[in-house]
This record gives sequence, structure tokens and C-alpha cells, in this order.
Amino acid sequence: MIPLETHGLTKHYGSLCAVDHLDLSIGNEIFGLLGPNGSGKTTTVLMLTTLLKPTKGSATVFGHDVEREAQEVRNLISYVPQDMAVDIKLTGRENVAFFAKLYGIPRRDETIDRVLWMMDLSERADDLVRTYSGGMRRRLELAQALVHEPKALFLDEPTIGLDVAARKKIWEHIRILKSRGMTVFVTTHYMDEAEHYCDRVAILDHGLVAAVESPSRLKGMLGKDLISARMSGRIGGNLPEGIECLGGKEDGEFVFSSEHASEKVPTLFRWLEEQGAVIHSLSVREPTFDDVFLALVGTGDEATGFDDRKFRTMLRRR
Amino acid sequence: MRDIFYYFERDMLRWLRGRFSVVSALVMPAAWLIFVGLALPTTFTENYIDFITPGILVLTMLGASLQGGSLLIFDKILGFLNKFLALPSSRESILLGKILFITIRGLIQATVIMLLALILGASFLNPASLALTYGILAILGVLLSSFSTAIALSLSDHDAYAAFNSMVSMPLFFTSSALMPYAVMPAWLSSIAYWNPVSYAIDAIRALQGGVLAWSRIGALALLSVVVVCISIRQFRKATL
Repeated sequence: MIPLETHGLTKHYGSLCAVDHLDLSIGNEIFGLLGPNGSGKTTTVLMLTTLLKPTKGSATVFGHDVEREAQEVRNLISYVPQDMAVDIKLTGRENVAFFAKLYGIPRRDETIDRVLWMMDLSERADDLVRTYSGGMRRRLELAQALVHEPKALFLDEPTIGLDVAARKKIWEHIRILKSRGMTVFVTTHYMDEAEHYCDRVAILDHGLVAAVESPSRLKGMLGKDLISARMSGRIGGNLPEGIECLGGKEDGEFVFSSEHASEKVPTLFRWLEEQGAVIHSLSVREPTFDDVFLALVGTGDEATGFDDRKFRTMLRRR
Repeated sequence: MRDIFYYFERDMLRWLRGRFSVVSALVMPAAWLIFVGLALPTTFTENYIDFITPGILVLTMLGASLQGGSLLIFDKILGFLNKFLALPSSRESILLGKILFITIRGLIQATVIMLLALILGASFLNPASLALTYGILAILGVLLSSFSTAIALSLSDHDAYAAFNSMVSMPLFFTSSALMPYAVMPAWLSSIAYWNPVSYAIDAIRALQGGVLAWSRIGALALLSVVVVCISIRQFRKATL
């Protein structure tokens, strides 16, 4: 049975289309839903977790329809929203016990001890959550989500606002859960995390899926090397033969791709100077997942005069 | 049914651990009792503290219940509600647990105020009618807390809820029979006060002071709270898919 499937899943808020005909099929894997803020990630999760009615289309969780068999779906899943909603006036144990009671699980105390131990919270279990760090609170939410041994886990931005060490720890826990047979559906806008920990990712842009692939294959689409330029001044016009622009990043970096990147550097340099740009640096580097994102989605705020949309449609065709 | 208790238990634990809010909610009704109950020169009664105590008990329930809606607002804003809604347990128990907690909390606060009234010299009830008084206060609590949760469900932020609360609570109190008998009210006020649901509870408790069971007032109160609970449940279902 396929853990998660969507068919033309669509959500309109009035005239705004938040999610547009989403077709996904997700197995026992860590599946990342990526996209900039407002791209429809949370809306998708809310529909899959029976919290929001789709406008059109359908979604099933282990064969159960999220609308018609919502109760069955809720029995199989756990949902951790991005808000970090734990009761700070209760202890860690009390927070988990509350969920264990609501799930009506047998042998409650054992289970609570086990999930707290799994999330490395045993030692601090009886302290008030007020004294927990952000990473601990997030792990506590995971512990809550695990008390009924769900088959699918939905995490909305699980590492938002956490420091690097805490993020790493959360992801390691997620990996262990997956290895135990759990399907993990996670949204994030941290590219590096998606690259390292997700088996497959879907890139969402304005409610549309721009790509569904493993992170390494997505990166492979960009070729071996990229040219990175830091410059100022306005530029426009047609790029020299064989060079394409992926777009400009928020930090002022412009990224170009080419078959033989290092050989094209002089050409690009001359062309940019002719355009009247002031070049601060020009270098060749390996593509990162950020570049994939830039190529597929862009930055939203187009800082460049190039028509990088042309490149994007090309990449999709490939 | 059990789920209702678990949601209730959560709110209760949180409330009891927030020491400041446990005490602060009592200050206003206590101030009314002391500064108005003991100090107001009245002509219609020899013992104003006896007269005003039912009104202040109801005021305590009124404040506690209307403030209770903000619990639901916070659960909504902070993401708790979505977590609860994704659970397989019955969704209505989230709402019913809130109504139960808000009502019980109001009764606990009313008990403290009642003890204070007794210390201040009120001698208004015998043990048998005390139980009935609690019953009436509980019905009022259910009515007002389902009203406030229904409003909370339709508002999106806490500021709006606080504005609603301050807009509603004092007018409800002043247009009730809490502070003076119908006989001394101006005609326009007495007709408003008579139909104010808050007065149903006050009048019923006052009747108990004289050893009378005011069934019509209690019945009206109970009927109204059943209606409002149903409206609140409907609102809740609508707000959550």
C-alpha cells in the first residue's frame, strides 16, 4: 500500500490558488517539500493531515481518503506544526502523558518513558518545559507525536529557529524513525538540510510542483560547474553563446551555468564589462542545492535583467 | 467523555501553575464586595452586603467565563488547536473540555468570593440552598463560557477578543439586577435588566436567600445555556472543517 498519494490536490483561498493540482506518490522515505515562504507547503500539509478541506482533487494516506476517512487517517499519522506548541508550564513528561491519554494507548507509563528516551529527554523529563531549549522543545513535540507509533509523520518546518547542532540532532532522529519504517513528510526552506537528509524532494513554487527528484539528481541537472559573479550596475541583453544565467541571489551573487565553465570565464568577463557592470569577483564552483532552487524557483524578487525564466523552462524539459 | 477530562486536566494544571493569574482574577470581585458592598449608602435595604453578594458571585462567574474565551484563542494562535485536531480523539471534546474548565475555574473563584462575603458579614444562605446556588452558578458558567468560546472561534486574534470582552462584560453586569432591586431602577433599566440572562442567575440566587425556588428563572437560564452550547458546538464544527 502506498503511504501517501495525492491526485490533482488543489486548494483555493478565494481567488488565490495556494496549491495547484499536486500529484505526489510517496513511499517509505523522508520526503521533503521545499519552497519559499507562501509557496503552499503548509497548506499541503494541512490537507494531508485532515485539517483543511481540499478545493479539488484527493489525497490518501495508506489508502484512506483524507476527507471521507479522516478518522482512520488520524489514527495512522502524527502532525507537528511549525509553531512549537508545547505547554511550558507542564513538565516534559506531562506534555507527553497528555497526548498518550488522548490517544488512549495501553501501558502508558512504559510508552512515555520509551519515547522520552528515544528523543534523549529522559534526564530532563520532570523539569518544566519552560526551562527547555528550542531543540529540546522540538524533540518533545516529536516524542508526543510518537506515542501512538504512527505510520506517517508530518513535520512542518521542524528545524525552524534552531541552532545548527539542534537541527542536526532533529534530523538524525528523523532518520532513525525512517529506518524503523516510518514515512516522514517534511517541509523546509533550508536547502542544505533537504540535500543532506531527504530521500526525495518536491520543489513547490506558487502552488505548483517544479520538480520531484532526489536531491543529488536535481543537482546533477545543473552540470558540473557554475560561474559565480559578484558585481554591481545594471546589465541586460543577450548572453554570449553557451552561457545561461540561473539568476541573482539575495546576497548579490549572480550564478551562470555553462558546459565548460572555467573556459567560459574570460568570455563572460569581457561581456559583463561591455555591459558596463563593475565586477568584484568571478569564480568557478560546484553547484549547490541552493543553485537548483534558484534555477527552478528564482528569488521572487528578480534582481537581474536576464530572462532566467527561459532557462527554467529548459531545465524542466530536460 | 474521557477526552473531555484530559483537556480539562491540561488547562487546570496550567492555570494552577500560573500563580499570578489565580490570584489576580479575584481582585475585581473582591474590590466590588468591599468597596461597594460595604460602603455604598443604600436606602432600600439594611444589609446591602447580603443583597449584593449574589450579584458579585455572578460577576465572578461572568469575569471568569468571558475571560475563558482567550484560552481557545491562544490555543488557536499558538498551534495547539491544530495539533489536537489532528488527533483521532473526538474533536468536540476539545471544546467541551474548555467549557468544563472555564466553568469549574469560575466556581472555584466564586467559592473564594463567597468565603470573603461571609467574613465581611454576609449571612445569606443555609447549607441546603448553598448547593442550589452552586448549581445555578454552574449553569451560568456553561452558558457564558460556551458564548465566549463561540465568539473566540470566530475571531482571529487576541486583541480582538480582549476588545470584545471589555465591550461585553461590564454592560452585562450593569444592566443586570446585581446592584439594585428592580423596584428602585428607572423603568427603562428594569425592563432591560429583567431580560438580561445574568439577572436570571442573580434573581434565582436571591430567591434562594428567601427560601424560594425560582423555577422560571432557573429554567430560562438552563434552556438558554443548552441553546448556546449547541451554537458553540456548531461554530466549532464549522471552524474546524
